[in-house]
Amino acid sequence: MAEAGTRERTARALNQAAAGPAGRALSGRPARTLGRIAAIAVILLWSLFPIYWALNTSLSTLSGADSTPAHYLPAPLVATSYRQALGLGGAGAGTSAQLWRSLLNSAIESGAAMVLTVVIAIFAAYAFARLRFAFKRTIFVSVLATLMLPAYATLIPLYRIMASLGLVNTYIAVILVYVSGFLPLAIWILYNYFNTIPLELEEAAAVDGASPVRALLRVVIPVATPGIAAAAIITFLLGWAQFLFPLILTTDISTQPVTVIVAALNQQRIVPFTLLMACGVIAAAIPALLALALNRYIVQGITAGSIK
Amino acid sequence: MSASFRRRILPYVLISPLVVFIGALSFVPTADTTVEAFFRVMPLDPPTRFTGLGNFRELFTNPVIRTSWVNTAVYVAIGVVLSVVLGTAMAVALQRRFRFRGVVLAIIILPWALPAVVEAVIWNWIYNPTFGVLNSALHSLHAIGGYHVWLGLDRWLTIVLIEIVQVWQITPLSALIILAALQSIQPDLYEAARVDGAGPVATFRRISLPLIRPALAIAAVEALVLSLNIFDQVYILNGIAPLGSSVMLQTYVTTFSDLNFGGGYALSLLVTVATAVLSMAALALLYRRAEAA
Repeated sequence: MAEAGTRERTARALNQAAAGPAGRALSGRPARTLGRIAAIAVILLWSLFPIYWALNTSLSTLSGADSTPAHYLPAPLVATSYRQALGLGGAGAGTSAQLWRSLLNSAIESGAAMVLTVVIAIFAAYAFARLRFAFKRTIFVSVLATLMLPAYATLIPLYRIMASLGLVNTYIAVILVYVSGFLPLAIWILYNYFNTIPLELEEAAAVDGASPVRALLRVVIPVATPGIAAAAIITFLLGWAQFLFPLILTTDISTQPVTVIVAALNQQRIVPFTLLMACGVIAAAIPALLALALNRYIVQGITAGSIK
Repeated sequence: MSASFRRRILPYVLISPLVVFIGALSFVPTADTTVEAFFRVMPLDPPTRFTGLGNFRELFTNPVIRTSWVNTAVYVAIGVVLSVVLGTAMAVALQRRFRFRGVVLAIIILPWALPAVVEAVIWNWIYNPTFGVLNSALHSLHAIGGYHVWLGLDRWLTIVLIEIVQVWQITPLSALIILAALQSIQPDLYEAARVDGAGPVATFRRISLPLIRPALAIAAVEALVLSLNIFDQVYILNGIAPLGSSVMLQTYVTTFSDLNFGGGYALSLLVTVATAVLSMAALALLYRRAEAA
């Protein structure tokens, strides 16, 4: 099928690109090469400057950060703000206790949501990709249609449902809402990935007497690891970044994720910008490291099925 | 239980967790929003009763909410245009292989991967009127005479600057989608164009552009849905001031500060319908053009 071919080619090309410095060197006429280098420099500056600026401020002294004109390098370079934020000596014990607890909450909420979403999505996407059953198309299209559903559509009812079940300010409420929100995307990514796996593998397993479930567990899942990794990492990042839903579903530090705490610190106005930036950098560190380390899965997940 | 029976019910077993989740936490809530939008729902002032279009009438006479609709339209217009144009530019710059392209790709994904709240807090510091680097840099370049208060004074400037923060986050999405489309174009088409003596601009317009139209449509619709929902950046950079408020922020305020749930439902329903209509229209328009090209 031409469609699958295109997708495969794209995935291969992007994976090659993401695989690193194996690509060919810049070629072409010198003027055009220079233009391209300049363009890439601008892209890097645009992507990195705000992040650099947060790092710069967080590593400065307060008088170094609050200066005009601004210092483009932290002089002197100090780790005071990080020590404060993480509670490693120095003032700011209240902030560091809050920050640590909210990081734990974020990890539990996005981690659990990731595991649940991926497990449910693997089974469902496999059924959609490989098995025949009544109303398959209707169910598949309705699930994917919720990808277009804005948060508006479900915000208030979800809050009321959780309130009526007495689940407001529990991990369970946050996790359930995340899973329902992330499932359609995870299914879309996995469904597309399963479709690139040749049927022969499962047919061979069936000839050997394996049931479809066995074929899924023993043959398909091992081969689909990159697709599963893509769904997992993207789901985790989405969970870590959530703000509006936890803002209404969590009410105190026992469940509030780090996004809610950073927003609260920002609103207090008395937190110095150096400490605020350190907290921001800490809150962003886990997704940043994951994105840098696993970027090829993210690229593959984002572009899954976008070529039609 | 016979093997064939087990085989027949297997698909239903596999999809049942999905159906339960999406049914209970997406479809039921959406239906609930649709119905309750026509009811007066005030948790602190019961009873709940049917008001027909009462909630909607109230929304359209509220000047703050009317402002937020106009603001959101501007957020969407800037968001869609800027993220698709910048995304295309990035994709074209990254189209050809070069050493370290993998590293560059990993870096451009970063803004997409970080929490919008943290990004907004960082940009808020960049825009800071006294110590912000934007003022300092523009002043050093002699682009401005004195330091400006960027946010909260001029409505349109505030909206543009807040939307830039969102564009910074969502452009990688457009760039990757468009890059994937560019890379699926057959190299011999470019070869043929080169033989015909076409320059880079003509090659892009005649070969790349028509072939990446579907990807542009998808990128535009993604940007549309994201900017129509803008909340985190507005919450951090504008607060609840009417000046730069978005519809999503007003939904939050109406529901959870004013505790007027009916009004919140009505706003939600309007935006949900708007999202559906606009994204269908955008997809239909861009796909039809793609076929005609």
